[in-house]
Amino acid sequence: MSNDQRDSQREPIGRRRFLTTVGAASAVALAAPALGRAQAREVKVGYMLPVTGPLAFEAQLALNGLLLAVDEINGAGGIKSLGGAKITLLPGDTQNKVELGNSEAARLIDQGVTALIGPFSSLVAFSVRQVTEKNKTPFLLLATVADNVLEGGLHYCFRMQPNARAMATLTVGNMMEMAKNAGVAIKRVAIMHEDGNFGTTMGNHVEGFAGKMGYELVQRVPYNLRSPDFTAELSKVKAAHPDLLVISGYYGDSKIIAETAAKLRIGVHALVGLANAAYSNPKFIADNRELTEHLFDGNYWHNPQSARARAVFDAYQKRFSATMSNHGVQGYQVMFVLKDALERAASTDREKVREAISKTNLTDHILTQDAIRFDEAGENVNATPALLQVQGGKPLVVGPARFVEAKPVFPVPKWKG
Amino acid sequence: MAGRLGLLLVVAALAAVPPLLPKYALEVLISVLFFGYLGACWNILGGYGGQFSFGHAAFFGIGAYTSTLLFLRLGLTPWLGMLVGGVLAAAFGLFAGYLSFRYGLRGPYFSLVTLAFAEMLRVVAVNWKAVGSSLGLVVPNRGSAPALFLFADKLPYYYVILVMVLAVLGITRALERSRMGYALAAIRENEDAAEAAGVDALSTKLAAMAASSFLTALGGTFYAQYFAYIDPSLTFGPAISIGGLLPAIVGGAGTVAGPLLGSFVLTPVSELTRAVLRGRAGADIMLYGLILILVISFLPNGLVGWIRSRRPAAGRAA
Amino acid sequence: MTWLFLQAVVSGLLLGGVYGLVASGLSLIFGVLRIINFAHGAVMMLGMYTSYWLFVLVGLDPYLSILVTGPLFFVLGMLIQRIVIEPNRAAAEHNQLLLTLGVALVFENLALVLWQGDFRTVRVWYSGASFLVADVLVEVPRLIAAGGAVLIALALWGFLRMTDAGKAIRALSEEPEGARLVGIDVARIRGVAFGIGSACVAVAGALVTPFFYVAPDVGETFNIMAFVVVVLGGMGNFLGALVGGFIVGLAESLGAAFLPGSLKQLVVFGLFVIVLLLRPEGLFGARRGR
Repeated sequence: MSNDQRDSQREPIGRRRFLTTVGAASAVALAAPALGRAQAREVKVGYMLPVTGPLAFEAQLALNGLLLAVDEINGAGGIKSLGGAKITLLPGDTQNKVELGNSEAARLIDQGVTALIGPFSSLVAFSVRQVTEKNKTPFLLLATVADNVLEGGLHYCFRMQPNARAMATLTVGNMMEMAKNAGVAIKRVAIMHEDGNFGTTMGNHVEGFAGKMGYELVQRVPYNLRSPDFTAELSKVKAAHPDLLVISGYYGDSKIIAETAAKLRIGVHALVGLANAAYSNPKFIADNRELTEHLFDGNYWHNPQSARARAVFDAYQKRFSATMSNHGVQGYQVMFVLKDALERAASTDREKVREAISKTNLTDHILTQDAIRFDEAGENVNATPALLQVQGGKPLVVGPARFVEAKPVFPVPKWKG
Repeated sequence: MAGRLGLLLVVAALAAVPPLLPKYALEVLISVLFFGYLGACWNILGGYGGQFSFGHAAFFGIGAYTSTLLFLRLGLTPWLGMLVGGVLAAAFGLFAGYLSFRYGLRGPYFSLVTLAFAEMLRVVAVNWKAVGSSLGLVVPNRGSAPALFLFADKLPYYYVILVMVLAVLGITRALERSRMGYALAAIRENEDAAEAAGVDALSTKLAAMAASSFLTALGGTFYAQYFAYIDPSLTFGPAISIGGLLPAIVGGAGTVAGPLLGSFVLTPVSELTRAVLRGRAGADIMLYGLILILVISFLPNGLVGWIRSRRPAAGRAA
Repeated sequence: MTWLFLQAVVSGLLLGGVYGLVASGLSLIFGVLRIINFAHGAVMMLGMYTSYWLFVLVGLDPYLSILVTGPLFFVLGMLIQRIVIEPNRAAAEHNQLLLTLGVALVFENLALVLWQGDFRTVRVWYSGASFLVADVLVEVPRLIAAGGAVLIALALWGFLRMTDAGKAIRALSEEPEGARLVGIDVARIRGVAFGIGSACVAVAGALVTPFFYVAPDVGETFNIMAFVVVVLGGMGNFLGALVGGFIVGLAESLGAAFLPGSLKQLVVFGLFVIVLLLRPEGLFGARRGR
């Protein structure tokens, strides 16, 4: 049987479990008394994710992380400062649509959630944050990378993961550092990015920081992600003779780009994804073993040196029969940030919880960074993406130095041509 | 007389009920009115003029971007920026309309060229840094600032769109009974015959285009102020173009109440489908498609047309 | 620079061949039924899913699956025409357009409901095959797709020219009244034309599957391209669509290689608008009316 056959015949167990878990949670939520009172037996937390629609696959992975975290918290006795109150997760499906993000947020707030988590797409985030801000409800961003989501003086919005600026600068920085250590200079950088919000943001940063970081941006190519052919775009890149090619894209387009770049013998030392949806994605790697070997990706990730992270991965594997992905890590960790805030707030009052979140100083986490702390705007000041490289069919952390689990292979001969 | 009383009751209900509604229902109602508004604007050119534009998002986007850019860069209140946006959209409409009509594009060819114009504007916006490219434009959160078309609460937005919808419906009704309305009807039935009878088809169609595009642009500003964020795909994309014309067709193109009625039917259907078929993304749009097919096949004059045909002594407007 | 130009030309022509086949189907449908079929891209997408599932469930190579996809979508096309379009053939032109839009919405979202939005890919042993001709990359699956597209389009052209059914189709598209008078079963021919058009685009989908991914919205890009190509080549002009496909593929690829940003789309649409305004009968068309 080919990989594809196996994949399609195995229904993600997560999905079935999701339906039963959410079904139960919904029943409980609907039956429970509404609106947060200080000594409630439960804490209602709402999530908004595109669990159906084009981003369903990744959203489900993030949701799995949330579920795992909630189980762990409740299993260990719930929120101690609230007399052991358990977390109840209320579902919201945005289908990745702006209007739905709005209405789902409104609905969940009506149902009395203490905080909201979500919504994945930056586009949806823009409209949801209006709702949460107007209703003074803490909103923890999940997998939303656009810089300007936290723009505009919001009080209730917080982002745990690295924003686009951090992703871009730290990833390229890590690559250049690694290159220096390998004795091969990176002077000429090219970037191909999808022309939507996500890709353009990344492109802007890579272009904007060129001078400061000591490289020349020799080519920047935005592309329409629905295009069936990127040969012309890649030829443009090849003609500029870059040392490094950065790719910020989604799954399908990133795949075609990597394939075509390999065939064109693009001539770079390495191909690195920038928050790429495919290059450190276990499914993509499993389906394209030869292509993905030695691909780099700068992405949010867990800390492989952390014992707790290893334990979480084991728990995830046991429950969902799959390797935890970085989406799952995000979901898991963001729930624990909330848990930590709830403990300190000792209340389900939204104002108190917001206050507590803003004062977060969390060191017990599984991410590749120092303590989780939020600044005035709500950004996680120490957020750091990991630099990953696919080796032997597994994405391994090769940077920053203190989180490394394998030595990088650089330069990568097959891209040199 | 009964009709007028009924109308008054409906308007009164629309004005009085919303403060009592839960947030979620209010959101849905705003959505209904919003698409009803877009449909009514489209209707002027499409339903009454018979020129089916598939690219009305072009005007919507121009309106949204103009007022937002004027607001962000020059501090001009969107209430005024809205009008500037409307004028620019009308200008573009006249430009595109003149090219199309002058070169004799009709029917599906006209639809295709409008589609192309909207897409071209989208691509330009995506690649133009000064208007934010794909990053879009964020309308800053300033709490309540009514003079700047910003409200802390949802309710005021509801009343704004309610007034806008009623205004456009009023304009449509006046149009229906005016000379221009008769001219449009003649053109819609048979343009060549109308020309032969002395109607200046080009001017009339252009006038309809200007009105339709101006009004659509105002909707773009509303969207920008309500969602506080715009980008090329949201404003110039097919969701707006199709989302605007569907209610008009389903409700009844070329009728006053059609677009609003169509929206009142379609939007809740979509919400209901999503609620009932949770976990089945796309089911609601599938239903839209089916409704569209059924309406075209069995109710070619939309819901209003069907309702009218059932009334024994229907006093039909021209 | 010359290399960049040559590479852009080659890859543009390869994709253009596929555009041509997609557009040929659309052109045929327009020529006979006089409607612009908005559901064309959606049918292509369904064709791609069919290839995908045949590959995954039965191990049938996508290229071989044409033998299944072709007839299957011929029948589906006829059914669509019979059930949705034929009953409304007297309706206003724009209403017929909206009918096909409705069909497109139904198909695309049916795919979303049934198979979710995940990208699916087919990996065959030749998926990665490619060769270089003087430094210019030619990918084997794309070459096969382009070649296959051209062959099929030519075969169809031959069918239209030489068989009775083909001649009936041409008669109907050129002279509807006359065709009826001569006793041609006009309703049946309309169904056949829609069927052939649908089969063309579904087969194009099968040809593209080895190097593209499958998702509910993949038909949209090809849909737009098909409109542009058909307008360029002339509505109802089968060969014009094929040549038009190459032209559009070239324009797009050269636009990507030499214009900044993602403005290549502007080139294609710009071409579209200019042809619509200045020569709506297309570069090769001499058809009556609009």
